[in-house]
Amino acid sequence: MGCQHLEELYELWLLGAIPPENSLELREHLARDCPHCRARLRDAAQTVYLLGLAAKPAPPPARVKAELLRRISRK
Amino acid sequence: MNETSPPEDLLARMAERDETALTELYDRYAPRVYGLMTQILPSRDAAEEALQDVFLRLWSESPNLSLKGGSTVAWLVLTARTAALDRLRAAPRNAPDTGKPRAGRRADDSVRKAKASAAGPRDPASRPTRSGDVKPFKAEGTPANAMGLAPSSWLPDPEEIALIDDRLALLHKVINQLPKPQRQALELAVFRGLKEPEIAAEMGEPLGKVRSSLRAAVTFVKHRRRAVCGTWAANI
Repeated sequence: MGCQHLEELYELWLLGAIPPENSLELREHLARDCPHCRARLRDAAQTVYLLGLAAKPAPPPARVKAELLRRISRK
Repeated sequence: MNETSPPEDLLARMAERDETALTELYDRYAPRVYGLMTQILPSRDAAEEALQDVFLRLWSESPNLSLKGGSTVAWLVLTARTAALDRLRAAPRNAPDTGKPRAGRRADDSVRKAKASAAGPRDPASRPTRSGDVKPFKAEGTPANAMGLAPSSWLPDPEEIALIDDRLALLHKVINQLPKPQRQALELAVFRGLKEPEIAAEMGEPLGKVRSSLRAAVTFVKHRRRAVCGTWAANI
């Protein structure tokens, strides 16, 4: 497969932390539909999801839901 | 029971214009999305608008949204992060903060300036609106979107996301185990959308050191997540 050296990049690339010039090879692999890179990207998305949930949940004010439903009813 | 409906079923009902499905999805997941929004955005007002926009977008797109077996909740959380970062980048640098500052946020004007300068020219299509319809989505912070890969090609399965949700308390402890410099670098990437050179500038550390910290942090969380969730795949 020849892409094990990209192992440390998938999560950071999904996060947008890798400068474009440093992700050229990874993007080329994905553009070629590399099965290993596709599988690793799905795995990496789990870690990125988990990192997003490191933020403490907070109940939004009730008026936000009311406004959302009002906007939907207008559509 | 509606209370236990899988999110994917709720999304299918939303596609049929079932507002109760949206209400149920919102009630279940809005706190985690809002928590993420308040971590990223500088005011409660902005977080509330962004929260509405994400759910409104999901409602609007649900009839044509094909996740191809991918997790609806993962789509929601990852889209929320990208939308919040887009909004953060588009925010006027010196806009007044009308809401409460988010908990744990650093005094970060320098970070905002670095981010604004790094974002480059802004696409008008990505600018948030204060009211009215949901903005057109442009996932600047999601490289896979930027290069034309549909999220459905890399979204985790609902079962994988359910495992993470079930073990979230333990996984939070994993993240808390990171050494402080690694965690700080990771937070700047996750919640500020900074790239490695910007993180190095913000932390006042050499780029090579920050790059190593970030990779060590991600590798640690990835390996612990796989171990906790038992999802290590031999072919990965």
